[in-house]
Amino acid sequence: MSETPTLARAPVSMTRWRRMYYLVPIVALIIPFLTNEYLLWMVNAILVYVLVTMGFNLIIGNLGQLAFANTAFFGIGAYTTAILMVYLGVPYVVAIAGSALAGGLAGFLASVTALRGIRLYYLAIITLAFGELMRWVYLHGDKVTMGSDGLLLPPAFFFGLPLDSEVPKFYVFLALTVVVVKATSNLMRSRVGRAIVAVRDNEAATASLGIHTARYIVLAFVWSGSVVGIAGAMFAVLTERVLPEAFGLTEVIIHFGMVLVGGTGSIVGSVLGAIALTVLPEYFRQFPGMDELFFGIIIVLILLFLPKGLVSLLCRISPVFNERYYRD
Amino acid sequence: MEPLLRLQGISVNFAGLRALADVTFDAHAGEVRAVIGPNGAGKTTLFNAISGYVPASDGAIHFKGEPIHGLAPHDISVKGVRRTFQNGGLFPEMTTLENILAGLHVHIKSSFLGIVFGSKEAREAEREGIARARRLLDLMDLGATADQPAKDLSGGQQRMVEIVRTLATDPPLLLLDEPVVGLSPPMRDRMMEIIRRLAGEEGIGIMLIEHVIDLVMSGSDIIVVLNSGELIAEGPPEEVRQNREVLEAYLGHV
Repeated sequence: MSETPTLARAPVSMTRWRRMYYLVPIVALIIPFLTNEYLLWMVNAILVYVLVTMGFNLIIGNLGQLAFANTAFFGIGAYTTAILMVYLGVPYVVAIAGSALAGGLAGFLASVTALRGIRLYYLAIITLAFGELMRWVYLHGDKVTMGSDGLLLPPAFFFGLPLDSEVPKFYVFLALTVVVVKATSNLMRSRVGRAIVAVRDNEAATASLGIHTARYIVLAFVWSGSVVGIAGAMFAVLTERVLPEAFGLTEVIIHFGMVLVGGTGSIVGSVLGAIALTVLPEYFRQFPGMDELFFGIIIVLILLFLPKGLVSLLCRISPVFNERYYRD
Repeated sequence: MEPLLRLQGISVNFAGLRALADVTFDAHAGEVRAVIGPNGAGKTTLFNAISGYVPASDGAIHFKGEPIHGLAPHDISVKGVRRTFQNGGLFPEMTTLENILAGLHVHIKSSFLGIVFGSKEAREAEREGIARARRLLDLMDLGATADQPAKDLSGGQQRMVEIVRTLATDPPLLLLDEPVVGLSPPMRDRMMEIIRRLAGEEGIGIMLIEHVIDLVMSGSDIIVVLNSGELIAEGPPEEVRQNREVLEAYLGHV
């Protein structure tokens, strides 16, 4: 090995800087002391959308597939929690696990289309149809889903802690988000994450390295489905009523916007995208009639001047924000 | 001596077109075997058939005495047949280091749950992989490019990284599809020198497709000549150079 220092040694210090990510949730613990109930509701919504965007980004950004089944995963996660809690009276924590499983199963179903060689626009339209099909199921499965009235959730408890206001919800959502983001980050910075990105960059070359490409396509979809399913479980408790209209086509466009505005293939980007596109529409509400226009203009401007998303601004400041697919 | 690779009557058909017809030969460890022939002769199809990317319609392929025809590309790779691609097979958005690590995929033994929970074992396996990847890059003087995205490297560096990536798991057989295309003459010579060293010192069996006849003549032990999917000559360079059929079909036109 060469003794002279090379660029290859530089990331050692980067690893130390990366540890500052751990500070983010610690600092976030004080948020409830600085905000009112309404602002905290918005923060909770951001936490939900961080997982929604990160799960979607795994498919769009990392695996590079135009699959839009995200609202299906989100809705399935929300309805699974609602159904388990309303009809079976299961504790919220069990319902979350159920939503992760149901979301993962939906992810598996969605992956079958990609495995059959359906790609690009065809994959996009089939997966969009999957989302719409699920909405039809929520609307017409009245006996279980209560149709357009939606399912009203019973009071939720997390290991005995009543989730009856935004403060306890915040702490539970923050814990869930941190655990899922960390697990996903571990996954992406490993041979699994590299295999997923390799499939996106060059599928034939990936197989030539002994990587079973189909296995990693399925895995990416299942993981994405589970992550977004957990977000659905959080969303159910956040809104306290699960309605079919929350999982329509507009919703998937917003999810897609969050991925693009934040930055494709980046976990930090997913967080930024979720924050931006949750806060901005709320802010523009003070201009009734113009809010959607402002919102649209902002998205266009961001994508025009930052085609790689908000995360590219951070990457300009320091390479520590670049996505990395290994962990030393 | 048992051949490393044995091809027996390999034929490949594409919608009625015969891309390879009854190709038979043995390749050995420590040997540089060049595959030459005019455009459309079936050279890349031959590599694709060996590495499982196109199914052979007829014939058998044995690697170390084991049949590999009909296996998926990733299974053939795991058995020890690794290849590069004519148009470059790097992952452009990944850094050089990440590309090599992807090449070490089957070598890094970590369980899925270990990875998700960040277990000590998984982290150790990853660190060992990184150390090995950095060592390989340093050996080829590519250490300084470790953190650059592959798309930002020069053409020569990209070819080199791709070869390092295929070598990462010490495969017994390498299939190199035009390894020097687009390289400057000094880079070409350097690449051929590395290829010779891999075969001579490491005992790796190397098959390469190449159009630069001087390099083929000086750098290979055996030359296989394909024309319209058929093997028309096989032998040491000086023998192939004299072959009339080869002169007519290929060398005469160069």
